[in-house]
Amino acid sequence: MLIAIDPNDSRPIYVQIVDEVRRALVLGTLAVDDPLPSVRQLAGDLRINPNTVSQAYRELEREGVVEVRRGQGTFIVKASVNGAQRRSLARDVAARALRDAHRNGLSADDLIQAIRSVSSPHTK
Amino acid sequence: MPGPLPTDLSAGELAIATHDLSKQYKTVAALTGLALQVPEGAVYLLVGPNGAGKSTTIKILLDLIEPTSGTARVLGLDPRAQPALVRANVGYVPEQLDWGYAWMRTGRLLEHHAKYFPSWDRDYAARLFRTFDLRLDQKLGTLSKGQGRRVHLAMALAHRPPVLILDEPTDGLDPVMRDETTGVLIDHIADAPTTVLLCTHHVSEFDQFADHIGVLRNGELRAQLPLLELRRGLRRYRADIPADWGGASLFGAAALRKTTTHRDLDWTVWGDESAITAELAVAGAVVRDAVPLSLSDATLALLSPKEVIVRAAARTADDTHLLHSTEASK
Repeated sequence: MLIAIDPNDSRPIYVQIVDEVRRALVLGTLAVDDPLPSVRQLAGDLRINPNTVSQAYRELEREGVVEVRRGQGTFIVKASVNGAQRRSLARDVAARALRDAHRNGLSADDLIQAIRSVSSPHTK
Repeated sequence: MPGPLPTDLSAGELAIATHDLSKQYKTVAALTGLALQVPEGAVYLLVGPNGAGKSTTIKILLDLIEPTSGTARVLGLDPRAQPALVRANVGYVPEQLDWGYAWMRTGRLLEHHAKYFPSWDRDYAARLFRTFDLRLDQKLGTLSKGQGRRVHLAMALAHRPPVLILDEPTDGLDPVMRDETTGVLIDHIADAPTTVLLCTHHVSEFDQFADHIGVLRNGELRAQLPLLELRRGLRRYRADIPADWGGASLFGAAALRKTTTHRDLDWTVWGDESAITAELAVAGAVVRDAVPLSLSDATLALLSPKEVIVRAAARTADDTHLLHSTEASK
Protein backbone atom coordinates (compact mmCIF):
# COMPACT_ATOMS: atom_id res chain seq x y z
CA MET A 1 0.00 0.00 0.00
CA LEU A 2 1.14 3.49 -0.82
CA ILE A 3 0.15 5.16 2.43
CA ALA A 4 0.92 3.62 5.80
CA ILE A 5 0.09 5.05 9.20
CA ASP A 6 1.26 4.25 12.70
CA PRO A 7 -1.29 4.70 15.50
CA ASN A 8 1.55 4.93 18.04
CA ASP A 9 3.20 7.82 16.23
CA SER A 10 2.80 11.12 18.08
CA ARG A 11 1.71 12.91 14.88
CA PRO A 12 -2.06 13.06 14.28
CA ILE A 13 -3.22 10.63 11.58
CA TYR A 14 -4.08 13.36 9.05
CA VAL A 15 -0.55 14.78 9.40
CA GLN A 16 0.86 11.29 8.85
CA ILE A 17 -1.10 10.97 5.60
CA VAL A 18 0.16 14.38 4.40
CA ASP A 19 3.73 13.36 5.29
CA GLU A 20 3.32 10.01 3.51
CA VAL A 21 2.27 11.75 0.29
CA ARG A 22 5.20 14.17 0.61
CA ARG A 23 7.52 11.21 1.17
CA ALA A 24 6.18 9.43 -1.92
CA LEU A 25 6.87 12.59 -3.95
CA VAL A 26 10.46 12.77 -2.69
CA LEU A 27 10.94 9.07 -3.47
CA GLY A 28 9.33 9.48 -6.87
CA THR A 29 6.66 6.82 -6.31
CA LEU A 30 4.07 9.55 -6.92
CA ALA A 31 4.30 11.89 -9.91
CA VAL A 32 2.25 14.67 -11.54
CA ASP A 33 -1.21 13.52 -12.73
CA ASP A 34 -1.13 10.43 -10.51
CA PRO A 35 -4.42 9.95 -8.62
CA LEU A 36 -4.61 9.58 -4.86
CA PRO A 37 -6.91 6.82 -3.59
CA SER A 38 -10.51 7.97 -3.07
CA VAL A 39 -11.43 9.10 0.45
CA ARG A 40 -13.71 6.08 0.85
CA GLN A 41 -11.02 3.67 -0.38
CA LEU A 42 -8.21 5.00 1.81
CA ALA A 43 -10.42 5.34 4.89
CA GLY A 44 -11.57 1.73 4.46
CA ASP A 45 -8.05 0.41 3.86
CA LEU A 46 -6.55 2.21 6.85
CA ARG A 47 -9.67 1.69 9.03
CA ILE A 48 -9.87 5.39 9.82
CA ASN A 49 -12.59 8.03 9.77
CA PRO A 50 -13.24 9.31 6.21
CA ASN A 51 -13.14 12.88 7.58
CA THR A 52 -9.51 12.33 8.60
CA VAL A 53 -8.62 11.48 4.99
CA SER A 54 -10.59 14.50 3.72
CA GLN A 55 -8.72 16.70 6.19
CA ALA A 56 -5.36 15.43 4.89
CA TYR A 57 -6.39 15.94 1.26
CA ARG A 58 -7.64 19.47 2.01
CA GLU A 59 -4.26 20.27 3.58
CA LEU A 60 -2.45 18.94 0.48
CA GLU A 61 -4.78 20.97 -1.73
CA ARG A 62 -4.09 24.12 0.30
CA GLU A 63 -0.36 23.55 -0.23
CA GLY A 64 -0.94 23.22 -3.97
CA VAL A 65 0.33 19.63 -4.04
CA VAL A 66 -2.96 18.09 -5.20
CA GLU A 67 -6.05 19.24 -7.04
CA VAL A 68 -9.60 17.93 -6.80
CA ARG A 69 -11.07 17.31 -10.24
CA ARG A 70 -14.83 17.14 -10.00
CA GLY A 71 -16.19 13.68 -10.53
CA GLN A 72 -12.74 12.24 -11.14
CA GLY A 73 -10.88 12.37 -7.87
CA THR A 74 -7.78 13.92 -6.35
CA PHE A 75 -4.63 14.25 -8.45
CA ILE A 76 -1.03 15.30 -7.89
CA VAL A 77 -0.35 18.61 -9.61
CA LYS A 78 3.03 19.56 -8.19
CA ALA A 79 5.72 16.94 -7.78
CA SER A 80 8.85 19.04 -8.19
CA VAL A 81 10.86 18.33 -5.09
CA ASN A 82 13.18 21.15 -4.29
CA GLY A 83 16.03 21.31 -1.82
CA ALA A 84 13.87 23.04 0.77
CA GLN A 85 11.34 20.17 0.83
CA ARG A 86 14.11 17.61 1.19
CA ARG A 87 15.64 19.62 4.02
CA SER A 88 12.28 19.94 5.75
CA LEU A 89 11.72 16.19 5.47
CA ALA A 90 15.22 15.57 6.86
CA ARG A 91 14.51 17.93 9.77
CA ASP A 92 11.34 15.98 10.63
CA VAL A 93 13.25 12.69 10.62
CA ALA A 94 16.04 14.25 12.72
CA ALA A 95 13.57 15.63 15.27
CA ARG A 96 11.98 12.21 15.71
CA ALA A 97 15.37 10.51 16.07
CA LEU A 98 16.50 13.14 18.56
CA ARG A 99 13.40 12.64 20.71
CA ASP A 100 14.11 8.93 20.73
CA ALA A 101 17.76 9.59 21.63
CA HIS A 102 16.78 11.84 24.56
CA ARG A 103 14.40 9.19 25.79
CA ASN A 104 17.37 6.83 25.89
CA GLY A 105 19.53 9.33 27.72
CA LEU A 106 21.68 10.13 24.63
CA SER A 107 22.76 13.59 23.53
CA ALA A 108 22.54 15.05 20.00
CA ASP A 109 26.30 14.54 19.63
CA ASP A 110 26.00 10.85 20.59
CA LEU A 111 23.32 10.48 17.92
CA ILE A 112 25.29 12.30 15.21
CA GLN A 113 28.36 10.17 15.90
CA ALA A 114 26.29 7.00 15.77
CA ILE A 115 24.67 8.01 12.46
CA ARG A 116 28.13 8.68 10.97
CA SER A 117 29.49 5.33 12.08
CA VAL A 118 26.36 3.41 10.98
CA SER A 119 26.21 5.06 7.55
CA SER A 120 29.89 4.42 6.77
CA PRO A 121 30.71 1.23 8.65
CA HIS A 122 34.12 0.73 6.96
CA THR A 123 35.76 4.00 7.97
CA LYS A 124 36.02 3.93 11.69
CA MET B 1 -1.85 26.28 31.12
CA PRO B 2 -2.80 23.08 32.89
CA GLY B 3 -6.43 23.39 33.83
CA PRO B 4 -9.74 21.57 34.15
CA LEU B 5 -10.76 19.05 31.51
CA PRO B 6 -13.15 20.47 28.90
CA THR B 7 -16.78 19.29 28.96
CA ASP B 8 -18.31 21.93 26.67
CA LEU B 9 -17.78 21.54 22.93
CA SER B 10 -19.49 24.84 22.05
CA ALA B 11 -19.30 23.79 18.42
CA GLY B 12 -21.79 24.36 15.59
CA GLU B 13 -24.91 22.29 15.05
CA LEU B 14 -25.57 19.46 17.47
CA ALA B 15 -27.30 16.28 16.27
CA ILE B 16 -27.80 15.09 19.84
CA ALA B 17 -27.92 17.38 22.86
CA THR B 18 -29.06 16.98 26.42
CA HIS B 19 -29.45 19.79 28.88
CA ASP B 20 -29.14 19.30 32.62
CA LEU B 21 -30.38 15.74 32.20
CA SER B 22 -30.83 13.67 35.35
CA LYS B 23 -32.19 10.22 36.09
CA GLN B 24 -32.86 8.95 39.56
CA TYR B 25 -33.54 5.25 40.19
CA LYS B 26 -35.00 5.11 43.70
CA THR B 27 -31.91 5.90 45.76
CA VAL B 28 -29.36 5.77 42.95
CA ALA B 29 -28.56 8.80 40.79
CA ALA B 30 -27.84 7.26 37.34
CA LEU B 31 -27.30 10.65 35.65
CA THR B 32 -26.64 14.05 37.17
CA GLY B 33 -26.96 17.24 35.11
CA LEU B 34 -25.72 15.65 31.91
CA ALA B 35 -24.92 18.03 29.01
CA LEU B 36 -24.15 15.63 26.18
CA GLN B 37 -23.16 17.39 22.93
CA VAL B 38 -22.82 15.29 19.79
CA PRO B 39 -22.01 17.52 16.79
CA GLU B 40 -23.65 16.81 13.44
CA GLY B 41 -21.55 14.34 11.46
CA ALA B 42 -19.41 13.37 14.43
CA VAL B 43 -18.43 9.85 15.43
CA TYR B 44 -18.81 10.28 19.16
CA LEU B 45 -17.43 7.67 21.54
CA LEU B 46 -19.24 7.55 24.89
CA VAL B 47 -17.13 5.62 27.38
CA GLY B 48 -17.27 4.84 31.05
CA PRO B 49 -17.30 1.92 33.46
CA ASN B 50 -20.37 -0.26 33.94
CA GLY B 51 -23.11 1.70 35.66
CA ALA B 52 -21.69 5.07 34.60
CA GLY B 53 -24.96 5.98 32.85
CA LYS B 54 -24.21 5.18 29.19
CA SER B 55 -27.21 2.95 28.52
CA THR B 56 -29.49 5.15 30.62
CA THR B 57 -28.53 8.11 28.40
CA ILE B 58 -29.27 6.15 25.23
CA LYS B 59 -32.61 4.91 26.52
CA ILE B 60 -33.68 8.46 27.34
CA LEU B 61 -32.69 9.60 23.83
CA LEU B 62 -34.97 6.91 22.37
CA ASP B 63 -37.76 7.50 24.90
CA LEU B 64 -37.41 3.98 26.25
CA ILE B 65 -37.22 5.47 29.75
CA GLU B 66 -38.26 8.80 31.19
CA PRO B 67 -35.74 11.27 32.61
CA THR B 68 -36.30 12.58 36.13
CA SER B 69 -35.47 16.11 34.99
CA GLY B 70 -33.80 17.98 32.15
CA THR B 71 -34.24 17.78 28.39
CA ALA B 72 -32.97 15.71 25.48
CA ARG B 73 -32.98 16.54 21.76
CA VAL B 74 -32.25 14.30 18.79
CA LEU B 75 -32.05 16.26 15.52
CA GLY B 76 -33.88 19.01 17.36
CA LEU B 77 -36.75 16.66 18.25
CA ASP B 78 -37.92 15.96 21.78
CA PRO B 79 -38.07 12.17 22.26
CA ARG B 80 -40.83 12.64 24.90
CA ALA B 81 -43.06 14.57 22.49
CA GLN B 82 -42.27 12.78 19.21
CA PRO B 83 -40.94 9.32 20.05
CA ALA B 84 -41.95 7.68 16.76
CA LEU B 85 -40.32 10.39 14.67
CA VAL B 86 -37.11 10.17 16.69
CA ARG B 87 -36.96 6.38 16.32
CA ALA B 88 -37.63 6.64 12.57
CA ASN B 89 -34.54 8.82 12.26
CA VAL B 90 -32.25 6.69 14.39
CA GLY B 91 -30.57 3.37 13.66
CA TYR B 92 -30.25 1.69 17.03
CA VAL B 93 -28.27 -1.35 18.11
CA PRO B 94 -29.21 -2.20 21.71
CA GLU B 95 -26.79 -3.68 24.18
CA GLN B 96 -29.22 -6.40 25.27
CA LEU B 97 -30.62 -8.54 22.49
CA ASP B 98 -34.17 -9.56 23.23
CA TRP B 99 -36.09 -10.71 20.18
CA GLY B 100 -39.50 -11.41 21.59
CA TYR B 101 -40.41 -13.45 18.50
CA ALA B 102 -38.01 -16.39 18.70
CA TRP B 103 -39.97 -18.28 16.00
CA MET B 104 -39.62 -15.50 13.42
CA ARG B 105 -37.06 -15.94 10.65
CA THR B 106 -34.47 -13.28 9.84
CA GLY B 107 -35.90 -12.68 6.36
CA ARG B 108 -39.34 -12.00 7.78
CA LEU B 109 -37.87 -9.57 10.32
CA LEU B 110 -36.19 -7.66 7.48
CA GLU B 111 -39.49 -7.47 5.55
CA HIS B 112 -41.15 -6.10 8.63
CA HIS B 113 -38.48 -3.39 8.94
CA ALA B 114 -38.62 -2.59 5.23
CA LYS B 115 -42.30 -1.71 5.63
CA TYR B 116 -41.72 0.41 8.70
CA PHE B 117 -38.95 2.56 7.20
CA PRO B 118 -39.76 4.37 3.92
CA SER B 119 -36.05 4.89 3.26
CA TRP B 120 -35.24 1.16 3.55
CA ASP B 121 -32.52 0.18 1.04
CA ARG B 122 -33.25 -3.43 -0.01
CA ASP B 123 -30.00 -3.94 -1.94
CA TYR B 124 -27.94 -2.52 0.88
CA ALA B 125 -29.67 -4.78 3.42
CA ALA B 126 -28.93 -7.83 1.25
CA ARG B 127 -25.30 -6.73 0.85
CA LEU B 128 -24.92 -6.23 4.63
CA PHE B 129 -26.33 -9.71 5.26
CA ARG B 130 -23.74 -11.17 2.89
CA THR B 131 -20.88 -9.17 4.43
CA PHE B 132 -21.96 -10.22 7.92
CA ASP B 133 -22.28 -13.85 6.83
CA LEU B 134 -25.99 -14.05 7.79
CA ARG B 135 -28.80 -16.14 6.31
CA LEU B 136 -32.38 -15.07 5.65
CA ASP B 137 -33.99 -18.32 6.82
CA GLN B 138 -32.71 -18.49 10.35
CA LYS B 139 -35.02 -18.40 13.34
CA LEU B 140 -34.27 -15.49 15.65
CA GLY B 141 -34.24 -17.80 18.65
CA THR B 142 -31.34 -19.80 17.20
CA LEU B 143 -29.04 -16.82 16.51
CA SER B 144 -25.80 -16.69 18.46
CA LYS B 145 -24.97 -13.49 20.33
CA GLY B 146 -22.61 -12.37 17.56
CA GLN B 147 -25.13 -13.19 14.81
CA GLY B 148 -27.86 -11.30 16.66
CA ARG B 149 -25.58 -8.28 16.94
CA ARG B 150 -24.93 -8.41 13.18
CA VAL B 151 -28.65 -8.69 12.37
CA HIS B 152 -29.26 -5.61 14.50
CA LEU B 153 -26.43 -3.72 12.79
CA ALA B 154 -27.76 -4.56 9.34
CA MET B 155 -31.24 -3.38 10.35
CA ALA B 156 -29.85 -0.16 11.89
CA LEU B 157 -27.82 0.71 8.78
CA ALA B 158 -30.15 -0.35 5.96
CA HIS B 159 -32.61 2.52 6.33
CA ARG B 160 -29.69 4.98 6.17
CA PRO B 161 -30.81 7.05 9.15
CA PRO B 162 -29.13 10.42 9.83
CA VAL B 163 -28.25 9.20 13.35
CA LEU B 164 -26.81 5.89 14.51
CA ILE B 165 -26.85 4.95 18.18
CA LEU B 166 -24.77 1.86 18.77
CA ASP B 167 -24.52 0.29 22.22
CA GLU B 168 -21.56 -2.12 22.26
CA PRO B 169 -21.93 -2.93 18.53
CA THR B 170 -18.99 -5.35 18.46
CA ASP B 171 -19.80 -7.26 21.64
CA GLY B 172 -19.72 -11.01 21.03
CA LEU B 173 -18.07 -10.67 17.60
CA ASP B 174 -14.87 -12.51 16.70
CA PRO B 175 -11.82 -10.43 15.66
CA VAL B 176 -12.48 -10.82 11.92
CA MET B 177 -16.11 -9.73 12.29
CA ARG B 178 -15.06 -6.83 14.51
CA ASP B 179 -12.73 -5.60 11.80
CA GLU B 180 -15.43 -6.19 9.16
CA THR B 181 -17.89 -4.14 11.25
CA THR B 182 -15.50 -1.19 11.49
CA GLY B 183 -15.00 -1.40 7.72
CA VAL B 184 -18.77 -1.41 7.11
CA LEU B 185 -19.26 1.60 9.40
CA ILE B 186 -16.46 3.52 7.65
CA ASP B 187 -17.96 2.86 4.21
CA HIS B 188 -21.38 3.79 5.57
CA ILE B 189 -20.37 7.25 6.78
CA ALA B 190 -18.21 7.84 3.69
CA ASP B 191 -21.30 7.25 1.52
CA ALA B 192 -23.74 9.38 3.50
CA PRO B 193 -23.10 11.93 6.25
CA THR B 194 -24.20 10.27 9.47
CA THR B 195 -23.87 11.16 13.13
CA VAL B 196 -22.74 8.20 15.22
CA LEU B 197 -23.06 7.86 18.98
CA LEU B 198 -21.14 4.80 20.01
CA CYS B 199 -20.96 3.29 23.51
CA THR B 200 -18.23 0.78 24.05
CA HIS B 201 -15.73 -0.78 26.39
CA HIS B 202 -13.55 -1.70 23.41
CA VAL B 203 -12.13 1.78 22.96
CA SER B 204 -9.08 0.74 20.96
CA GLU B 205 -11.24 -0.74 18.18
CA PHE B 206 -12.58 2.71 17.35
CA ASP B 207 -9.39 4.62 18.02
CA GLN B 208 -9.07 5.94 14.46
CA PHE B 209 -12.76 5.86 13.57
CA ALA B 210 -14.13 8.16 16.28
CA ASP B 211 -13.47 11.90 16.32
CA HIS B 212 -15.07 12.94 19.62
CA ILE B 213 -15.15 11.43 23.07
CA GLY B 214 -17.28 11.79 26.17
CA VAL B 215 -16.13 10.17 29.38
CA LEU B 216 -18.87 9.33 31.87
CA ARG B 217 -18.19 8.53 35.48
CA ASN B 218 -20.85 8.14 38.15
CA GLY B 219 -23.48 9.73 35.92
CA GLU B 220 -21.43 12.85 35.21
CA LEU B 221 -19.36 13.90 32.21
CA ARG B 222 -15.76 14.01 33.29
CA ALA B 223 -14.56 15.18 29.87
CA GLN B 224 -16.09 15.86 26.45
CA LEU B 225 -13.89 16.98 23.58
CA PRO B 226 -12.61 16.28 20.04
CA LEU B 227 -10.08 13.42 19.98
CA LEU B 228 -7.46 15.60 18.28
CA GLU B 229 -7.59 17.94 21.28
CA LEU B 230 -7.35 15.03 23.68
CA ARG B 231 -4.26 13.76 21.87
CA ARG B 232 -2.70 17.22 21.88
CA GLY B 233 -3.54 18.18 25.45
CA LEU B 234 -3.28 14.96 27.45
CA ARG B 235 0.31 13.82 27.63
CA ARG B 236 2.58 11.61 29.62
CA TYR B 237 5.60 13.53 30.89
CA ARG B 238 8.76 11.79 31.93
CA ALA B 239 11.44 13.85 33.61
CA ASP B 240 14.55 13.56 35.74
CA ILE B 241 14.32 15.28 39.09
CA PRO B 242 16.97 16.20 41.62
CA ALA B 243 17.08 14.61 45.08
CA ASP B 244 14.63 16.16 47.58
CA TRP B 245 12.65 17.76 44.77
CA GLY B 246 10.00 20.26 45.86
CA GLY B 247 7.59 20.09 42.92
CA ALA B 248 5.54 17.03 43.83
CA SER B 249 2.28 18.98 44.18
CA LEU B 250 2.47 20.79 40.80
CA PHE B 251 -0.61 21.07 38.52
CA GLY B 252 -3.22 19.98 41.08
CA ALA B 253 -6.24 18.32 39.47
CA ALA B 254 -4.86 18.71 35.92
CA ALA B 255 -2.43 15.92 36.79
CA LEU B 256 -4.39 12.70 36.33
CA ARG B 257 -1.63 10.29 37.14
CA LYS B 258 1.52 10.82 39.08
CA THR B 259 4.22 8.28 39.65
CA THR B 260 7.17 9.88 41.35
CA THR B 261 10.35 8.22 42.52
CA HIS B 262 13.37 9.82 44.14
CA ARG B 263 14.97 10.63 40.80
CA ASP B 264 12.35 10.69 38.08
CA LEU B 265 8.68 11.34 37.51
CA ASP B 266 6.10 9.83 35.16
CA TRP B 267 3.05 12.08 35.13
CA THR B 268 -0.04 12.26 32.95
CA VAL B 269 -1.15 15.88 32.82
CA TRP B 270 -3.89 17.72 30.92
CA GLY B 271 -2.99 21.13 29.47
CA ASP B 272 -0.75 23.03 27.10
CA GLU B 273 2.42 21.04 26.52
CA SER B 274 4.88 23.94 26.36
CA ALA B 275 3.43 25.57 29.50
CA ILE B 276 3.64 22.30 31.44
CA THR B 277 7.17 21.57 30.24
CA ALA B 278 8.22 25.12 31.16
CA GLU B 279 6.66 24.84 34.60
CA LEU B 280 8.43 21.53 35.21
CA ALA B 281 11.71 23.08 34.06
CA VAL B 282 11.29 26.05 36.41
CA ALA B 283 10.71 23.57 39.24
CA GLY B 284 14.03 21.91 38.40
CA ALA B 285 12.84 18.83 36.48
CA VAL B 286 14.52 17.91 33.18
CA VAL B 287 11.75 16.73 30.83
CA ARG B 288 12.84 13.77 28.68
CA ASP B 289 9.63 13.41 26.73
CA ALA B 290 5.99 14.42 26.58
CA VAL B 291 4.07 11.90 24.51
CA PRO B 292 0.34 11.68 23.66
CA LEU B 293 -1.49 8.66 25.07
CA SER B 294 -3.22 5.94 23.11
CA LEU B 295 -6.99 6.29 23.34
CA SER B 296 -7.34 3.37 25.76
CA ASP B 297 -4.57 4.72 28.02
CA ALA B 298 -6.13 8.18 27.90
CA THR B 299 -9.52 6.73 28.86
CA LEU B 300 -7.99 4.81 31.74
CA ALA B 301 -6.21 7.92 32.98
CA LEU B 302 -9.45 9.92 32.81
CA LEU B 303 -11.40 7.25 34.67
CA SER B 304 -8.96 6.35 37.40
CA PRO B 305 -6.88 9.30 38.50
CA LYS B 306 -4.34 8.27 41.04
CA GLU B 307 -1.15 9.36 42.61
CA VAL B 308 1.74 7.04 43.24
CA ILE B 309 4.72 8.39 45.04
CA VAL B 310 7.47 5.87 45.40
CA ARG B 311 10.28 6.90 47.66
CA ALA B 312 12.57 3.97 47.12
CA ALA B 313 14.77 4.49 50.17
CA ALA B 314 11.87 5.20 52.51
CA ARG B 315 9.94 2.18 51.31
CA THR B 316 12.84 -0.17 51.99
CA ALA B 317 13.12 1.22 55.50
CA ASP B 318 9.38 0.75 56.08
CA ASP B 319 9.43 -2.79 54.71
CA THR B 320 12.34 -3.69 56.96
CA HIS B 321 10.54 -2.15 59.89
CA LEU B 322 7.39 -4.08 59.03
CA LEU B 323 9.33 -7.31 58.79
CA HIS B 324 10.90 -6.72 62.18
CA SER B 325 7.64 -5.88 63.86
CA THR B 326 5.96 -8.97 62.37
CA GLU B 327 8.75 -11.12 63.71
CA ALA B 328 8.66 -9.38 67.04
CA SER B 329 4.94 -10.08 67.41
CA LYS B 330 5.37 -13.80 66.90
